[in-house]
Amino acid sequence: MLDELRELEPFRAEVRAWLAAHLPADWQQRMLGASEEEHVAFQKAWFRTMMEGGYGAPHWPKTWGGSGFTFAQQIVLYEEIARAGAPRLILYFIALHHVPGTLLEWGTQAQRERHLPAVLSGDEIWCQGFSEPNAGSDLASLRTRAERRGDVYVVNGQKTWSSNAHHAHYCLLLARTDPKATKTRGISYFILDMKTPGVTLRPIKQMTGASHFNELFLDDVEIPAENLIGPEHGGWAVAQSTLASERGLTILELAERMRVGFRLLLDAAQAEAPLGGRLIDDDEIRRRLVDIHARIQALRLLINDLLTQVLRGAKTGTEPSIIKIYYSELLRDFTALGVTLGGVAGQYLQPVLMGGANETGYWMQDYLYSWAWTISGGSSEIQRNIVAERGLKLPREPQPAAAG
Amino acid sequence: MDFQLSEDQEALVSALQSILQDHAELPQAERFSYSYFNADLQRLLGESGFLGAARDIGPLEAALVTIETARLPVLVETAATGLVAPMLLPADGPVDGPVALIAGGAIGKAHRNLPIARTALVDLGEDVAVLTIDPADVEPVASILAYPYGRFRAIPDLAAARRLPGAGARLRQWWRVALAAEVAGAAQAALDFTLDYVKQRQVFGRPVGSFQSVQHRLVQCHAHAQSTYYLALRAAWSGEAVDADCAASLAQQGVQKLLFDLHQFHGGMGVTTEHLLHFWLYRIRALQAEAGGVHGIGLEIAGRMWPAATQATGADAAPQIAEAG
Ligand SMILES: Cc1cc2nc3c(=O)[nH]c(=O)nc-3n(C[C@H](O)[C@H](O)[C@H](O)COP(=O)(O)OP(=O)(O)OC[C@H]3O[C@@H](n4cnc5c(N)ncnc54)[C@H](O)[C@@H]3O)c2cc1C
Repeated sequence: MLDELRELEPFRAEVRAWLAAHLPADWQQRMLGASEEEHVAFQKAWFRTMMEGGYGAPHWPKTWGGSGFTFAQQIVLYEEIARAGAPRLILYFIALHHVPGTLLEWGTQAQRERHLPAVLSGDEIWCQGFSEPNAGSDLASLRTRAERRGDVYVVNGQKTWSSNAHHAHYCLLLARTDPKATKTRGISYFILDMKTPGVTLRPIKQMTGASHFNELFLDDVEIPAENLIGPEHGGWAVAQSTLASERGLTILELAERMRVGFRLLLDAAQAEAPLGGRLIDDDEIRRRLVDIHARIQALRLLINDLLTQVLRGAKTGTEPSIIKIYYSELLRDFTALGVTLGGVAGQYLQPVLMGGANETGYWMQDYLYSWAWTISGGSSEIQRNIVAERGLKLPREPQPAAAG
Repeated sequence: MDFQLSEDQEALVSALQSILQDHAELPQAERFSYSYFNADLQRLLGESGFLGAARDIGPLEAALVTIETARLPVLVETAATGLVAPMLLPADGPVDGPVALIAGGAIGKAHRNLPIARTALVDLGEDVAVLTIDPADVEPVASILAYPYGRFRAIPDLAAARRLPGAGARLRQWWRVALAAEVAGAAQAALDFTLDYVKQRQVFGRPVGSFQSVQHRLVQCHAHAQSTYYLALRAAWSGEAVDADCAASLAQQGVQKLLFDLHQFHGGMGVTTEHLLHFWLYRIRALQAEAGGVHGIGLEIAGRMWPAATQATGADAAPQIAEAG
């Protein structure tokens, strides 16, 4: 991969210069402890600036208004975004990755025309309505019911953990259309307009005190039949496209941000130690710093290897699962070290940096938030099962004996 | 000590449990708080003699009281009030509680339980200062940790406070026993809560707790909680400083894994305040850093157990450890 990237040095310089010229120098001050409204407004403004610069939708094809960058260019761009410490476009995550990944493969022309340009204008925020109270890891057991009645589907049920649904205009929704079919077969995939009557949200309070995700109640919600994506009862395959849509670039960005964020740990380690001297004078602290540093290097190599495979067009195996486990556990240990260095004083409530990286130096919040990463997007236990069964070809866990 | 509670100890624990049962519920309005101190229960425990156990019976019984109260999601202060203060001030009558414990070097920072405290014991290294706390002098500090935290509006005049010369080491010793007991109770309660959850939560047609990868980690958590419990009881029983250090060190070391696994097995629920887990785990987390923390206590243990080896530096350290072994 290095060769491909070396050729892109001029492009890298361009991106770096653009970011230096356009990234508001005070954005972190402004977003520290910002309200939800200020956060939304700033995300929108930054996304529009990125679009004007030609960097807002690097992976989208030119025909749909994206930059149509090569994969190598995208890698360079995300490295530079991380290096510059620019905001994460967290509110647009589903809209920028999952929506095109799903609509370009399965959507109708009308659906694409209706939504893709609107996403790039910054006006459409999307959320994902897959998980339910009784269907998380075991997503295929979802029960939200959609019944066809004339031109509409009538949907009843409950979704949960829907991130940023309170800001979203549309939702990627999975519902059961054929209750008689076996688990994965009777599911369909819809575009849900969040303003439809019968849609109610309840924010869920996270341990960090914030409420970024929601329960979603659906009571006799009517979805026009033209909002079905892909074949009726064929939603499971569509959902696989959604989940496969971001091809390792998110984790690349996160790993680069972590590499940059390591500085925060080093700075925190300069503080005075309770038993005299500085924290970094202590062998145990130094050993933990080195451990985190070495693991960041290893993570970047794992990601490099994955991206090289994607770049060369090879099919990837269980690498994404391995990388997700590796990243999320490293993030946990990274932030736990931050908490150790911060001491008790590091655990008082402080303002949160909205749109910041996963390492902000507000260690308690960073640490608690790190736990979301070992659960969301397929828990570490599920990822390990995938690696064990598909990668190491170990036998599957025994199924429980049949009922009776 | 044979780890079996005597009949009297069993009776004490079950009498206490029957009182606690009626007060275990969190009021609905406090469900999403980070901590909830139940002042009525605190008073009741004092009136019914449970905070006098250390003086009336012994420190082991006081530790049992702390372990039991730490199992509740609601907070009452029995560790410093019922165990540390009586062991430090045996000649005094009952101390005006709740009691807060303060590291003197950090007096200007926020302290656990200070907003509810009437008395504070301040670790000055050699000596201990005993402060009477006026709630008006304390400013609450919001924290995610499951205790009320507060700092002094003005740094109190320690020179004018009552002083217990030479009592510093003894304060730290009982502080460590008390924190180990509190961690033990909270860890067992958090584990029990999680065990209930994984038995009833179904995925792929079976309970989450039926997967071996989940079982093994919960067994590790159980082993940790049990060891903490026994080490805490031994330290309370023996009155040996090194036992107190070991109990606290073990209690504090296992926190990381315990916290993570118990949250993890709750799935998405584990990152919310929709359940009660944080009331216990965020107490454990707070206690992890106290009385020297894992690190400080570890060094003290090494210093006590292998003084020659730890004082030596560099190359000549290894042979001395070999001799000691
Ligand atoms: C921050 C965050 C954001 C999220 N955002 C969204 C969103 O926008 N939209 C959406 O639809 N969903 C979202 N989710 C939901 C997420 O996908 C689920 O939480 C996740 O799939 C786990 O499901 P669950 O919470 O029901 O846990 P469960 O499936 O109940 O799992 C409980 C525990 O059992 C373990 N377990 C399960 N199966 C096995 C097994 N076979 N072997 C061993 N252990 C097992 C799990 O690893 C976990 O530890 C989000 C979650 C989080 C934490």
